[in-house]
Amino acid sequence: MTYFLAQVLNGLSYGLVLSLIAAGFAIVFTSTGVLNFAHGSVVLLGAYLVAVLHPTLGFWPSLLVGMAGSALVGVAINALLVRHLADQNAGTAAILMLGVDIVLLTELTRRIGNQVLTLGAPWGASVVRFGDVSLPTGRVVAAGVTVVAFAGLWYLFARTDLGVGMRAAAADGPTASLMGIRLTRTAATGWALAGVLAAVAGVFLTSFPAPGVAPTVALSAFAAIPAWVLGGFDSVPGAVVGGLVIGLTSALVTGYEGDLERFVGTGFGEVAPYVVMIVVLLVRPSGLLGSKEAVRV
Amino acid sequence: MSPPLLSVEHLDVVYDGTISALSDVSLTVDEGQVVAVLGSNGAGKTSLLRAVSRALGSYGGAVTGGTVRFAGADLAGLDTAAVVARGLVQVPEGRRVFRDLTVEENLRAGGYTVRDARARAQARDRVFDLFPILAERRDQPGGLLSGGQQQMLAMGRALMVSPRLLLLDEPSLGLAPLLVDQIGEIITEINRQGTAVLLIEQNAVMGLRVADAASVLEVGRVTAAGSAAELAASDEVQERYLGVAVPVVATEPVLDQPAIPTAEPPQRLRVEGLTVRFGGITALSEVSFTVEPGTVHALIGPNGAGKSTLVNVLGGAYRATEGTVHYGDEELTALPAHRVAGLGVARTFQNISLALEDTVEDNLLVGRHRLMRAGVVSGAWRTPRVRREEREHRETVAGIAELLGIGHLLRTPVHTLAYGDRKRVEMGRALAARPSLLLLDEPVAGMTHGESQDMADTIRQVRRDLGLSIVLVEHDMPFVMGLAEQVTVLDFGKKIAEGTPAQVQRDPEVVRAYLGAAAA
Repeated sequence: MTYFLAQVLNGLSYGLVLSLIAAGFAIVFTSTGVLNFAHGSVVLLGAYLVAVLHPTLGFWPSLLVGMAGSALVGVAINALLVRHLADQNAGTAAILMLGVDIVLLTELTRRIGNQVLTLGAPWGASVVRFGDVSLPTGRVVAAGVTVVAFAGLWYLFARTDLGVGMRAAAADGPTASLMGIRLTRTAATGWALAGVLAAVAGVFLTSFPAPGVAPTVALSAFAAIPAWVLGGFDSVPGAVVGGLVIGLTSALVTGYEGDLERFVGTGFGEVAPYVVMIVVLLVRPSGLLGSKEAVRV
Repeated sequence: MSPPLLSVEHLDVVYDGTISALSDVSLTVDEGQVVAVLGSNGAGKTSLLRAVSRALGSYGGAVTGGTVRFAGADLAGLDTAAVVARGLVQVPEGRRVFRDLTVEENLRAGGYTVRDARARAQARDRVFDLFPILAERRDQPGGLLSGGQQQMLAMGRALMVSPRLLLLDEPSLGLAPLLVDQIGEIITEINRQGTAVLLIEQNAVMGLRVADAASVLEVGRVTAAGSAAELAASDEVQERYLGVAVPVVATEPVLDQPAIPTAEPPQRLRVEGLTVRFGGITALSEVSFTVEPGTVHALIGPNGAGKSTLVNVLGGAYRATEGTVHYGDEELTALPAHRVAGLGVARTFQNISLALEDTVEDNLLVGRHRLMRAGVVSGAWRTPRVRREEREHRETVAGIAELLGIGHLLRTPVHTLAYGDRKRVEMGRALAARPSLLLLDEPVAGMTHGESQDMADTIRQVRRDLGLSIVLVEHDMPFVMGLAEQVTVLDFGKKIAEGTPAQVQRDPEVVRAYLGAAAA
């Protein structure tokens, strides 16, 4: 029972980190219609900035710089590349983002090399005990921060003019612009938000029990893709639910790998999220909370 | 005399660098005035509004000549947001409310540029005063509002910036007459409170009733302008847009032998106790009627009456929850859509669903699909039999195009065609399947009176030459009256009347539900 509980807590806290990344995917998609396949590199970039800056600036200031840096890169990708695409469609933009991902990832890999950089996070490798169950402190902090971040996002989208304007622009851009909402501005805000979330997620993805900042982090960030798709491409609440589902699934499957080995062999933990995603999409093609494309005949 | 609030001078607008939408258009709107711009589809009315609200760019259009001045300042070089900040705001065609945002959030988005919280609260109170129903439904998503309420929300959303000039694009489009009257009164009230209005309308009656002055736009040029009273009295406007001179043609069942025989003779269509529910909503409730072979049968009713749902059941796109539909001896409701087509039932779509990049001929050939015999293999080898078959299909399609008056457009890509011609292609594709029963879903939606008369002639001709049954869904009442032998009237998913056009027209229930106060 204790073991099960540990796996559940582990899965939920990991799932929250994934949902931060998935929310970034969803926000960029709703604000500019781009499937941002460079998001994984932006996650790595945030963590990398913190890792190289913390010896001089200290952890918290470098976290701020990391957030700002990732946000800025996102805004720049949108302003310099996406907006100038000769052919504005989702397919072209997605290919462009794959290209951007390769460029960013190659540069970061060149800088990091074979090292595994440390973050210098104050929680280090410490562990919190809840009765018999223990959880890395980093994960506990991550859960708290994520909950606060999503509360902030909810407030932004439900209560502020900017957020309502962003939702209006996402729903129907040309009409929103007739209201004086500048689409370039809502788009930039979306990319910046996604960048900030990516940097925060990057820090938690590379905290203990992960070894530290290495180029493979960009790949593990892609574990958030099934969470994003599962929740629905255009839904931030969907990203949260999707993240939790995927987090739990992979924690439980990995945790009980020994019992499952007879049926599916080892390493199924990495496959399981995609299996769950496919099963959900078969039943709900637009994801758990995604908006259905309503077609009137 | 003070300078006009809005002055458009010698305006030229071009799309994609080549297609001219407006040339040499001039008009003015004075402070406190309501000005209407009338014209048929493709006349350039929406382009004019977009040029004024500086939204052309997002549609690939550009102003290539002339000026637009608002409150004395040239608008060239400003973006839409800057124009909105100066007090000039456009309500787009088709309402376009944000469906997932609540009424209140829709209004909030409308007031996005207003930074002063008090001004915004005042504007919102004014909108709620003007449209009490919006205050009542403030927490509901915009998508749940009815068509008329969505139009109110779209107007309220624009009023959030307390504009000096309001641009309205077809506010009455697709609304029942009762609602059109109401929208007209609201426009007058908005104007009385001090906002000038530039109104685009196909519904000339409504446009001229609320406007002080008006211009008629045709193929990108102003062909008439003056006070609303002058224009309403002019012969040209009377005939073209008000339909005054055109008498209603009474139709007799035509017994001529069809020139091009249909594949099978038309059968009797029997709809019995048809009920369709979506989730908790009942779209159709126990509707029964019969369409006699070879007749034109109209289904009419206000928005949301369930007309399109019914067509979708007849065509096989929706499933019936209860009840049956028989075509001859076959039960339509038990068959998938492609099998329904195999029985000789073809339909058109309300919002036109054509392959835009392909030619008219190719679009029509799609309709021949069920009659094509050649398989993939013989098609790939282009055997003589295949070539002969293809030639026959092309000839048939050409004949149909000729019948519909689009014979000269066969090689033209559909995206370059005007709206009325697209409607004809849509009908042609259905006819290409050689149906014995043709379902027409709003064939004249969005057309002017003159255009819909042409379409009525075409439909008569098709019926006469091809000898088929036609089920016609419309809310354009006069159109149906001159065309159908039998009319079934739906309201809120129920059949409320049935009979000949003359009988239905006199039915008090129909007058109340459909024609609104003005006709009662």
